[in-house]
Amino acid sequence: MLKYFRWFIILVLLLPTASCRKTGNATTAFYYWKTSFNLNQQQTALLKQTGNNAYIRFFDVSWNDKEQRSYPNAVVQLNALPAGFNITPVIYITNKTFENTADTAVTNLAEHCNKLINELAAERKINYTKVQIDCDWSLSTRLKYFSFLTAFKNLNHKQLEATIRLHQVKFKDRTGVPPADRGVLMFYNMGKLNAELQQPNSIYNSNDADKYIAYLGSYPLKLDIALPLFSWAIHIREGRVIQVYGKIGRRQLSDQAHFEPIEGQANYRAKTSFFLDGIYIKQNDIFKLEETDSNTLNAAAQQLTQHLPKQKHTTIIYYELANIDLSKFNQETLTQISARF
Amino acid sequence: MIWACADSYEEEYSVFTPEYFVNKQYSPFFYTGNEVYYGLGYTDGSNTWYNDIIVDEWYDHFNHQFSKTSLQYLLIKASAGAVDSISRKSAGALKVLPAKYPVMSTGTVSAKMLKAFYSYLKLAKISEAYSVNDQYYSWDKVKPNHSPVKLASTLIGAFDAETDPFIKERLWFQAVRYYYFLDNSSSATTVSLFNQFKDHFPKNLIYYRTMGYVAGYYYRQKNYALSNYLYSLCYDYTYKLKIPSFWSFHPQNESDWNATLRLAKTPEEKITLWHMMGVQYDAARAIKTIAAINPKSEKLDLLLSRLINIREATTGGGKPADSVIKSDNDGKRLVENIALKNNTAKPYYWNLAAGYLNFLDSNYTAAGKFYATAKNQFPAGDKMIVAQGKLLDLMLYIKNLKKMDATAEAKLTEPLNWLANLRDSKIKIKDLRFDNAISVCNLAISRLYKKQGNPIREVCFNNNAQDFYADSTRVQHMIDLLNKPDKTAFEQTMLRYYPITLNNLYYHRAITLVYQQKLPEAIAQLKKMKPEDFVLAGNPFTGRLVDCHDCDHAAPQKQKYTPLSFLQTLNTLNTEIKQGKNVYSNAYAIANAYYNITYYGNARLFYESDAVATGPTGRYYYEGEQRMDDKLTSMQIAMKYYQLARKNATTDEQRARCTFMLSKCALNEIYNDPNFKGADKFADIKASQPVTDAYYKYFAQLKEKYNNTAYYKEALKECGYFRLYADKK
Repeated sequence: MLKYFRWFIILVLLLPTASCRKTGNATTAFYYWKTSFNLNQQQTALLKQTGNNAYIRFFDVSWNDKEQRSYPNAVVQLNALPAGFNITPVIYITNKTFENTADTAVTNLAEHCNKLINELAAERKINYTKVQIDCDWSLSTRLKYFSFLTAFKNLNHKQLEATIRLHQVKFKDRTGVPPADRGVLMFYNMGKLNAELQQPNSIYNSNDADKYIAYLGSYPLKLDIALPLFSWAIHIREGRVIQVYGKIGRRQLSDQAHFEPIEGQANYRAKTSFFLDGIYIKQNDIFKLEETDSNTLNAAAQQLTQHLPKQKHTTIIYYELANIDLSKFNQETLTQISARF
Repeated sequence: MIWACADSYEEEYSVFTPEYFVNKQYSPFFYTGNEVYYGLGYTDGSNTWYNDIIVDEWYDHFNHQFSKTSLQYLLIKASAGAVDSISRKSAGALKVLPAKYPVMSTGTVSAKMLKAFYSYLKLAKISEAYSVNDQYYSWDKVKPNHSPVKLASTLIGAFDAETDPFIKERLWFQAVRYYYFLDNSSSATTVSLFNQFKDHFPKNLIYYRTMGYVAGYYYRQKNYALSNYLYSLCYDYTYKLKIPSFWSFHPQNESDWNATLRLAKTPEEKITLWHMMGVQYDAARAIKTIAAINPKSEKLDLLLSRLINIREATTGGGKPADSVIKSDNDGKRLVENIALKNNTAKPYYWNLAAGYLNFLDSNYTAAGKFYATAKNQFPAGDKMIVAQGKLLDLMLYIKNLKKMDATAEAKLTEPLNWLANLRDSKIKIKDLRFDNAISVCNLAISRLYKKQGNPIREVCFNNNAQDFYADSTRVQHMIDLLNKPDKTAFEQTMLRYYPITLNNLYYHRAITLVYQQKLPEAIAQLKKMKPEDFVLAGNPFTGRLVDCHDCDHAAPQKQKYTPLSFLQTLNTLNTEIKQGKNVYSNAYAIANAYYNITYYGNARLFYESDAVATGPTGRYYYEGEQRMDDKLTSMQIAMKYYQLARKNATTDEQRARCTFMLSKCALNEIYNDPNFKGADKFADIKASQPVTDAYYKYFAQLKEKYNNTAYYKEALKECGYFRLYADKK
């Protein structure tokens, strides 16, 4: 009897890894983060082929030091909005806003945000069913941010989603869990940006993710996943990071008249001083290229699915559509990646 | 507010004052670490930037007859409605001006001139609706800032009809700006209208402001070459246009930048382009090019100051490199070569710069040579440049010293006094950046004394050696030095850099003796102090189940204790114990006192003093941070007396209380444990096993022996840790 019982235990232990996860139920969606909403033909086609789901950044909320108040920044211009999209408004709120907003003004801020979202939506006849709030809150702003979310939900009534950073999953007891209906795990920007030439990719690398990912199972919110589609180049001068550019990529850095490859995975040295797309580059400046491609996404998906708890349905939101490199990512690659969840 | 911040900030990295070498009109572009424009902050006032000039121009236009206050009101403040009412009143169409509007004082200005002015003003106010962007920081709906199509004919009609050249030029400005704002891409009429009439008007501020909109138009058309060229003309015209033009100047690629350079019609125009490029992107490259065109150009000055200040900022200011730098860092060779050619407008500036850049690279010999050349070229009677030279000289002299001997001390007495006088505002030299020189000099001198084994003088120049105050003999030597009646001139100077007073030192000695439990000696030290006693915030003899400093500080106290009266009482209780009197209650009170004068107690004020530089005020136990001075956290003396009290207790209630107090001390010892990392944001609480065991030992004793006492029940209620422990087992 005992013998059989032991086998039974082993079977039970094996089950979750072997067969409990049902894949292929995920929805594919895209962020759109630029101020002026304009899709070209290919972007529109990609959006259609993947299910018409767009998370559009409606505006940022920033803090005006001079006048000591919050204000909506970079409000989206929804110029040419094709019909038939499922649009979810996203707002990004700087942590500085909560650092400075008085406890008593939080509800007022929620009213402002709700009103502006509804005005922008009404203008374009957008029927949205959920809202996503993005804020990298800190221990000191946690209470204000959370009471903002509650106040916002009370006004807005739609499904409320909040972005979650990896460290907020691991240290949830300290950072708190936002009072939202769902969370969106931002599975990128996990490493530190630095001038170290041998440092692994800061957008995604499995080692950095590993430090946090085991905690996913015990996170109380249901999580959707945001994955990166972006690449960037880190501009380094005299050993210091001076800027990060999305618009500088392999194409520009392969120009041998101006750059030469140096040690490390994808590092380049400027051979001369010159202007490039509005950026001034000094001789000996170094560019460290950090890229995302389908291999990166596959690795990320593989790592995530091992730890994500089972849930009926997950949305995979790709960041982001306005600057997508269509030579790297197409409908097929992205739906395949989504299908892994 | 911003100004104050800016001032203190530059002093953190700089000892080279651009104000002394560069024309004031370039001052917004002096290198600054933390703000957009030096001395101005963010200048978020692009809507108000020209206000004063606009009023002045109209004031002159009316030959000073129209009162300035009235003009200010009309031009800057008045709404379109106000202008309308005032204009109708002026024309006689309105009998009584509504009381909310001020009465205009127009002197002898003719009715015709007034009429023209008001007509213009009405149009100008309408134009502000789209051209003045005052709402982009608002939750109210953002208004579109395009100009209305209908306004075109009105503006052009007014422009065509106008005969007064002064007003006509302003209408031209309004019309060009109107077309700039017409829609997203701007209308090409912006350019044609500008070109058609540009030769009809004087080349004044409004002319260049009009040209600015043409430059903006080209920028939107992605004609960066022409846009940047036009902005450079605006930049060069006047101070007022420098910031707006500089802000808009953005070469995109080498091709358009080269095309911009080809547009320059004169060497001077080319210099301006390189100057703007250099200020924003690459001072050395610009200096090289400009010096080849005209080494006397004043546009080099700003670039050189930025090159120096940026170089300073990268090494933390005035602090030379740790080892000699031989390579050409940031154009040092370039500056040297120009200085050596001796063909600039301010050769002393280039020599000081070459010297200082060498100093920053630790090339002291070269630095000295350039300084010496510079000194012979200083403009006569320029005290500021002499002061700048003196500051650089002093730093170089000190960094060159191998030893602090009598010669060095004699030589340094005067300049060190001078520096201290600057610091104490006993003398003032406008804008001189000297703060950083103080720390560079003091640190270098203190290092020499350290090498020479003279800790007293080392500490005088750098009061940062914490062990110093742990050694009572050294402290006594310092007291003796401060008390010395016939100090030498150098000693007097040196002590101006030592921040600690005699009182501080006596107090420090007293406190050290208290923790050594030498109370009579401590009292004797306190009595040496000049009366500077203060009152402790709470009763230091109180102990409580759960620490609450604020409660102790708020509690009514029959007797308030000063450090002296506290020590005297403590000594009395101690003497009574020795005599066998009230041992339990005296030991318990002494234990509380020794508890309270640690970091954990209610009397932190007692040990906080100026002598211990890294005093524990506001310190926390974050991982990786240096631990606090042990005596200020150790529980050993308090525990000794709690144990004595427990031994002499007569009831279980008393014993329970002492045992609980001992557990509190033991818990603090966990925090004191070097392995403890609990207060790091995210780590688990950990400490060495013996320390943890000691803590639980007292809990066990409480639970086993005293669980019938009222105090036990109170502890259960008040102390969560204890409750957890009691519930668990």
